[in-house]
Amino acid sequence: MNIRKLISLWIFTVSTVVAILGFWALATRMDVEYWMFFVALTLISASYYLSGIYHHMTEKDMNGVFMLFYASIVLMVAAFSFYLPEILDMRQWEINARIPNFFFYSLSMLFLGIFSSYLSFRPFYNFKKEGAQMGAYYMLYITMIFTLIPLFVILFNIVYRGAGGITWEFLTEDIISMGERGGVYPAILGTLALILVTAVIVLPLGVGTAIYLAEYARKGLAVRVIRTAVNILQGTPSIVHGLFGYAFFVLILFDGQKCLLAGALTLAILTLPIVIRSAEEALNAVPGDLRDASLALGASKWQTIKKVVLPPSLPGILTGTVLGLGRAAGETAPIMFTAVYFSGAGTPSSLLRPIQALPYHLLSLYRLIGYRDVDLQAWATALLLLIIVLGVNVSAIIIREKYRQRF
Amino acid sequence: MFEKFKELLKEEMRCERKELPKGIKMQVESFNLWYGKTQAIKSVNMDLKENKITAIIGPSGCGKSTLIRGLNRMNDTISSVKTEGKVWLDGFNIYDSTTDCVDVRRQVGMVFQKPNPFPFSIADNIYYGCEVNGMKVEKDEVVERCLKQSALWDEVKDRLDENALSLSGGQQQRLCIARALATEPEVILMDEPCSALDPIATAKIEDLIDELKNHYTVVIVTHNMQQAARVSDYTAYMYLGELIEFGDTTQIFENPQENSTEKYITGRFG
Ligand SMILES: Nc1ncnc2c1ncn2[C@@H]1O[C@H](COP(=O)(O)OP(=O)(O)O)[C@@H](O)[C@H]1O
Ligand SMILES: [Mg+2]
Repeated sequence: MNIRKLISLWIFTVSTVVAILGFWALATRMDVEYWMFFVALTLISASYYLSGIYHHMTEKDMNGVFMLFYASIVLMVAAFSFYLPEILDMRQWEINARIPNFFFYSLSMLFLGIFSSYLSFRPFYNFKKEGAQMGAYYMLYITMIFTLIPLFVILFNIVYRGAGGITWEFLTEDIISMGERGGVYPAILGTLALILVTAVIVLPLGVGTAIYLAEYARKGLAVRVIRTAVNILQGTPSIVHGLFGYAFFVLILFDGQKCLLAGALTLAILTLPIVIRSAEEALNAVPGDLRDASLALGASKWQTIKKVVLPPSLPGILTGTVLGLGRAAGETAPIMFTAVYFSGAGTPSSLLRPIQALPYHLLSLYRLIGYRDVDLQAWATALLLLIIVLGVNVSAIIIREKYRQRF
Repeated sequence: MFEKFKELLKEEMRCERKELPKGIKMQVESFNLWYGKTQAIKSVNMDLKENKITAIIGPSGCGKSTLIRGLNRMNDTISSVKTEGKVWLDGFNIYDSTTDCVDVRRQVGMVFQKPNPFPFSIADNIYYGCEVNGMKVEKDEVVERCLKQSALWDEVKDRLDENALSLSGGQQQRLCIARALATEPEVILMDEPCSALDPIATAKIEDLIDELKNHYTVVIVTHNMQQAARVSDYTAYMYLGELIEFGDTTQIFENPQENSTEKYITGRFG
């Protein structure tokens, strides 16, 4: 371990600490004053000066100058940032909003900290190619961590706050006194029933459409129209699906009666694009060679699809369907006008009766917060919903891994 | 009774018949083929002799695959393809409007360039053709017969239930040949069957092809001229969609009539 490496490690540590402080301040809205920001950046800058001078003295090449240059930039940013809140004050453009000062400083600390730690890999490896490569790896890790952090924060938060509310009573009883006591048993069953009925509706429709698109349709206008329609369907906000379901299924088909079937039909429309897409992908993944082989043996097109194309693509189709159902299971908007009551529906007994469901239950409890003591129940419901949706997705992964087909 | 009536009706509906000269299994008569607007086969005439091996050679892109796929109507699967002309099989035109291309493909089997066994068991691969054609045959018998005919029986007889994809490339290709034999075809088409294989596997397939001609009429496309010279009885040389020269393999290789043929087989282009 020589001095150059020690200095690099020092820069790395300081920069990382600055970045973490910046992130922490950002996440907790901690007030970062200008002087804290200035000290942090000066520290980084000074370390880079030190490293640059040392490098230039020992190696006599231009790479040290590069670090002096970078150090000066950091120092300039630190000095210039004093005026930043004023420069970026929105009120001068007659926009009535204020970006809090701490926001600038913590964000700058975060980014400059990360970038400085990234750069510190170069002197560590004496400006060889390896340094650039390790720096790139480091950046990839950082981006990965930054995508994972929100996920874990959400998961932790929900588990931490909701786990206490999951009791035997909560899982097995109907709600009592607007959700203050009792449980969500009918809502659990209702959500499961919705998933099941939706699956029964969407599988044949989706797979049929996908087979038509992938195997039969000539690549022409009709296919383009269908595909555009599917894309539009996928991009439609779920509340629009809900309103359509209400206007069409509930009002016209079921005489104004919300019911399980109406909700499942609406969710089926919502998941249809996902199922069609994944099924089409799975069908297209079957090599054309196999189709040719089958046709050359005198099989008809339908025989070929049935015996050669569908079996290996079934896991892919099922995975896509289950993922779509996972999405449907967590949706509130499509079912709230078409299928669910907050209470009184009981356990699902008929396709033509309304049900209770977890996402809507959560929404209703949220509306009651402040009037009723339902915080814990709301968090517990959220946790339960999360568990169901995650369970659905995990089963999709299991199907895919277990039956994955290789050609 | 009803079946027989249907059979009769079908026979009657084939409007055109042609008595082929003795010893000729298939006859291609002024056959043209277009992919969209580009013509890939230009007015080809060719006789395929029964129980003989006919090789089709030519530089790549000259239409060998297209022509051979025209012999069992595999080109019908490509929507842009238009054809003109006739291909006679035992006196029937396979391009007649009353001919069902599914029947044609049962009688004219095909082996492709890349081994493409189904991801089923070895036995199921072979039985597949019988199954889809509703042939009433004993599965074990068919499997054994076809595997023996394709010289694969000894290597796989203990693992008939294993997935066909676990076989080596050469074994897979012989399995594909065995699979084509299951539907009891009369003609077997092979489109560069050895181009994805190593020399030893190639030699095995060549031996096999030589065996096959005792029972079947074989058409083989190859880009390998030594292979054509080794295995075939007749050779057709194609260039830019046209059949330039057709004749005895020895004559084509030793005494080609056309300039272009000679250039190609002496390796001066292609
Ligand atoms: N599916 C297709 N669509 C359009 N053109 C094609 C298609 N297949 C082949 N062709 C064209 O037809 C010509 C003959 O191709 P092919 O029969 O595959 O040649 P070969 O097998 O002799 O190499 C080539 O010019 C090729 O580009
Ligand atoms: Mg070819």
